[in-house]
Amino acid sequence: MRSLVKINVFVLCLLMVTGLFGPTNVMAAKEIKIGVIYPLTGGAAAAGRELRAGAELAAKLANGVFADIPMTMAQNEGIKSLGGAKIKLIFKDHEGNPTLGADLAKKLILDDKVDGILGCYFSSVTKTVSAVAEQYGVPMINGSSTSPSLTKRGFKWFWRTTPHDKWFTKDLFELLKGITEGKVRGVKGVSKKEIKNIASACEKTEWGSHVSGLIKDMSKEYGFNLKKSLLYTAKSTDLSSEVRSLKAAKPDVMLFASYASDAILMVNTLKAQKAHPKIIWGQDAGFEKPEFRNTLGSSIEGILTRTVFLPKLVEIKPLAGKVNAMYKAKTGNDLGGASARAFTGLQTWVYILEKAGSTKPADIQRAANSINIPGNELVVPWAGIKFSTSGEELGQNVLGSGLIGQYQKQADGSMGLEIIYPFDVSSADMIFPLPGF
Amino acid sequence: MSILLSSIVAGLLFGMVLAFISLGLTIIFGVMDIVNFAHGEFLMIGMYTGLFTAQATGIDPLLTLPVAALVGFSLGVICYYGFIRFLLRGPILAQLLGTFGLMLLLRNLALMIFGSEDRALHKGILVGKSFELGMGVIIPATKAVVAGLSVVAFLAIWLFMNRSRVGKALTATALNAQGARYMGIPTERMNALAWGIGVATVTIAGALIVNFWPVNPFVGILFTMIAFTIVALGGFGSIPGAFFAGIIVGLITEIPGFWDFITYTFNVGWMADVPMTSLKYMWVYLTYFVIMVLRPRGLFGWKH
Repeated sequence: MRSLVKINVFVLCLLMVTGLFGPTNVMAAKEIKIGVIYPLTGGAAAAGRELRAGAELAAKLANGVFADIPMTMAQNEGIKSLGGAKIKLIFKDHEGNPTLGADLAKKLILDDKVDGILGCYFSSVTKTVSAVAEQYGVPMINGSSTSPSLTKRGFKWFWRTTPHDKWFTKDLFELLKGITEGKVRGVKGVSKKEIKNIASACEKTEWGSHVSGLIKDMSKEYGFNLKKSLLYTAKSTDLSSEVRSLKAAKPDVMLFASYASDAILMVNTLKAQKAHPKIIWGQDAGFEKPEFRNTLGSSIEGILTRTVFLPKLVEIKPLAGKVNAMYKAKTGNDLGGASARAFTGLQTWVYILEKAGSTKPADIQRAANSINIPGNELVVPWAGIKFSTSGEELGQNVLGSGLIGQYQKQADGSMGLEIIYPFDVSSADMIFPLPGF
Repeated sequence: MSILLSSIVAGLLFGMVLAFISLGLTIIFGVMDIVNFAHGEFLMIGMYTGLFTAQATGIDPLLTLPVAALVGFSLGVICYYGFIRFLLRGPILAQLLGTFGLMLLLRNLALMIFGSEDRALHKGILVGKSFELGMGVIIPATKAVVAGLSVVAFLAIWLFMNRSRVGKALTATALNAQGARYMGIPTERMNALAWGIGVATVTIAGALIVNFWPVNPFVGILFTMIAFTIVALGGFGSIPGAFFAGIIVGLITEIPGFWDFITYTFNVGWMADVPMTSLKYMWVYLTYFVIMVLRPRGLFGWKH
């Protein structure tokens, strides 16, 4: 009798144990680790915060069910083809330093055993990090570095979702051409003589120096006269000699490729030196950061910047509106070019993993090379995401496109970006010439 | 011509600002032969002091100078009694590494407390203001005020060192500490005073330059390098030397402007393509190198 009780107790215990742990074993899906390398401290820390928030929001949508967001990844809990595996982001801070970025990539691959990498914003850091990923055969997706050379290296483990600077710079020259042809909303045809002279100042890392080269090439191609082209250090705390040098060239159009703190310093110095070009255009980055407009206020009225996301898009694209509302609730700011692209970068990771149904690098590689995400799934105004698998630009998304916005005073008195280019989606008349400081 | 004039005026103004920043370094070196690597970090502390005092009290940033001076003087004296005094007993290498360690400590403390982001003043009577002198020469009001106060500070320190009893005691300590001690001069207190005054001048300069220069914990690096160049050029320990060397270095940083002047006056196409602005600080460091090789005493140096 006693042994029967013992057996019963044993069976009961066994049942309890299986009851407690059994279902958990079934439920405990694999976790997918994505190493995310961004500049979380240093001059670009504010951009880093935006990038992080964008990637975190995408992970949140991928890991939970959000029925009201019309996006496939928001309808499933985790990666469906991987048994509901959740995305875990491991953030690392590269401080804008390419060597540190490469070290962090090694740590993520060897110590954290990540399944893939996302990053790194600075093209210079993306360059070294992607070289490490290539060496170890770990897939890497880049959402926001725009130096054209990154996809010209024939890397097999590197994919870039954002359009690159060649496209953006071409957009700018198309806008300048449009101004002379009367295609811009609110601007009557302007004689080319009036905007012929150009001067550019770009920060001198991988990204800025390439933009500078592109401006040189395209000003020739489009028949503009590049009178001055200079490079400066993004960490500069004084740009007065640079601005004097730009002014000395007496340009009609001033073009910049700047990160956040240097973009603010550049505009402040232009203001102090009473520069009055007819057009000021920034190649994204610093020129569209929230602190750029918060710090400089109404003095930026009329300044143009290229981007891939403007809050005005919300009116055109309801999906962008819904995601933007979640982002705003989380951070207090609207999505911007950096955060929207970080979001899209991680979203691409999710779709590739879903398609691969595996975390083996070779399966991910196959899935990435055959992915085709339609534009209606994205918050950015692109036709979709499809990577080039042959030719010169291996791993480049061929369906991306850019926007050019202009700071204009909004109804509530704040400064906001209006879409000026492409001409067919412009949201306001362009202010031309620049009112001056 | 306006390019040339603008560059000369900008070089002179920036030179006076740089001289102001270097004043403390030359005082400290002059009195006790200590090379203070933490000089730029004291500037950074002055900048944060000016910034936070202005933001917290709502007063104009220019009126924060007494606070910066007090913070700087106290910090200098505390550093001397708590740290430097012990370093002086060690070999020269210990002194070098000691102030280097102080630099790392202060920089990383600032990083921990304030974070690495740039902070800038956006309000103030002079912030963002500039006035035109004619001929296209535009002077930023903040820089003009700092340059003016730099002249005042140099005159005041020079008079103090050469005309007052305490100043003469300081000079005596600088020339021969042991002899001064025999004459009844409290050299220990003189050293502390030199540190107090040296650090106070640089924190005042910091509180002033934060009117036009954003601050972050790493801002000191650039200024330490430039201050060393100025003090080496002027002669370690020489107060008038630091002033004139500051102006020379200010003009050297304007070489790109002079280059532009030649480019556009004589319309030399290839010159416009030379990236002179990227190299502006290279000339400063090149000057430092040349001085160190040819005349280690500097222009007005009396110590070697």
